[in-house]
Amino acid sequence: MSTTPDRRVSATSAGPAAADPVAAAAAAAAGAGPAVASPVPAGPAAASAPAASAPAASAGPPRRRAVITGLGFITPIGNDRAAVAASLREGRHGFEPVEFLQNPAIPVRLAGTVKGFSVDSMSWRDWRWPAGYDLPRETLRGLAPHGVYAICAVRQALRDAGLAPAAIAGDDGTGLFCASAGSAMMLHGHLAQMHAVRGERGNPMGVVSSIAGTLNFNLAAHFHVTGAVCGFVSACASGSHALGYAADEIRLGRLRRVIVVAAEEMNAETLLPFAAMRALSPRRDPRLASRPFDAARDGFVGAGGAAALVLEDAALAAARGARPQAELAGWGQAADGHGIAMSHPEGRGLALAMRRALADAGAAPADIDYVNAHGTSTPVGDRAEALALRAVFAAGETPSARRPLISGTKALTGHPLSLAGAMEAAFCVLAMNEGFLPGNPHLVNPDPVCEGLDLPLAAVERRARLVLNNSSGFGGSNVCHVLRAL
Amino acid sequence: MQPTSSAQSAPDPSAKLEHFPPEVRDAYARFRDTGDLAALQAVVLAAVRDHMPKPTDQPLSDELRLMEDLGYDSLAVAETVFFIEDLFQVRVETAEIMEVKTVGALKEFVAKKIAALKAAAPGAPDPAA
Repeated sequence: MSTTPDRRVSATSAGPAAADPVAAAAAAAAGAGPAVASPVPAGPAAASAPAASAPAASAGPPRRRAVITGLGFITPIGNDRAAVAASLREGRHGFEPVEFLQNPAIPVRLAGTVKGFSVDSMSWRDWRWPAGYDLPRETLRGLAPHGVYAICAVRQALRDAGLAPAAIAGDDGTGLFCASAGSAMMLHGHLAQMHAVRGERGNPMGVVSSIAGTLNFNLAAHFHVTGAVCGFVSACASGSHALGYAADEIRLGRLRRVIVVAAEEMNAETLLPFAAMRALSPRRDPRLASRPFDAARDGFVGAGGAAALVLEDAALAAARGARPQAELAGWGQAADGHGIAMSHPEGRGLALAMRRALADAGAAPADIDYVNAHGTSTPVGDRAEALALRAVFAAGETPSARRPLISGTKALTGHPLSLAGAMEAAFCVLAMNEGFLPGNPHLVNPDPVCEGLDLPLAAVERRARLVLNNSSGFGGSNVCHVLRAL
Repeated sequence: MQPTSSAQSAPDPSAKLEHFPPEVRDAYARFRDTGDLAALQAVVLAAVRDHMPKPTDQPLSDELRLMEDLGYDSLAVAETVFFIEDLFQVRVETAEIMEVKTVGALKEFVAKKIAALKAAAPGAPDPAA
């Protein structure tokens, strides 16, 4: 395997990366990526040069670049591009009052609900979804409720990318990467049935509609995916992991296209265990319950939905005339090594993940125009992220005029767990293309720990060139993406 | 074949027919009340149709093969068996169902199961009642 170095990584990246030998190695590895021989049969697209907008490589074969050509949204703030863009721009939240288990004593009063669907029942025969989505019995019988969201989001993303489902069916260059924690509701229901008959029989669809791989199993079969299929389970970083590894598969030439989909249910079984951890806000006022980085924040608001992104080799997208909406220019991950659920108190792992993502993209902190923060509105998590952001975009490294705007869009959506990172990456791509940066509409009194961070209240009309998207999950799993406008 | 040990704790089996047409629910009630074999077979046919992965309106004649002709896969077979087990409170072994290849064979199999169940517990209430 040739490892001809790619000298494209800019000198500026040496700044943040220099302090972290692993980030420096990541930058070098990113440069070496394009030289890896591709096992994917080289069609006309694979053989062609990268799109004209690609930065010029000074030597070696062209670097493969992962671009995003399609987005799909089933979210609390909208079920299509236009609705989501309007909600983000106008600061419109997607919260509704909820009461779980017919028990008003439960201190969870709000959630980021998914509109236009009815998937509360364990039986798919009772489910309803918006018109325009074809969900055959053959598919429904093995799905979990969030699988319905996921299929609708993928259908949208394919349409947005100009791809008919038949174009990916049986294509060995197209893979499917999923992020899901499984369906706690279905698992509970099926196991309750099993216990009721003392284990003598169970629903044959119990496994495939419940466990953490349920999206992979069902969507690979539904869309006839043959390139590759796998799933990611890293709690609230799952969607971001799926997206990052999808980009790597493309940059390494292993796949030419990856459909990334992340989804989560919003029901008692998924959400209430977080109430047991005292992680949820008990507030009833939707303007006050989810307010990342506010001094009075008191927990997150649960949410459900799905997001899908079509990632493609830039050369493939160019060859078929698809418009790339952004490049996933780099990503990085790092672990806290600290706690089961609590973030490292100073956001050590998240800061390292940001630096690695920047190095992978060949970018300096001063190049970043906007950061979509993980910002769940929990006291500990937001504090850790604020400190990590300050460490990466500190005054010494980033002149104040070049500090990024930062916002937490969970103020509007709530926190959809496994879905968060992929959904927010899709939000970033959408906002970059629409020419605005989302704000922090529920921020009243910024926590003093955020000193020096630029947290606009309202959306800003500005076309970002380079965007950072943060995610953190239980166990100290931190993942960041760098998205570049094209 | 034996009745499931938890029949007492299971919910009313007829609840599993809620989404079926009224004539199927009526057939189930008739079978339960009178043991009418034709009514039983109507319910089995409805169950077969309800579990076809790719539904069609074609008549379900006895000679049709579940997999080759009706598009069943192994999961659909397992689902149908699960449904029949719950509906008629019988237990079907995997080896038994592997022998059932056609619509007619399934109808016959279910009828024999229920007859055997009654024979094994003479005087007992109808297991499906």
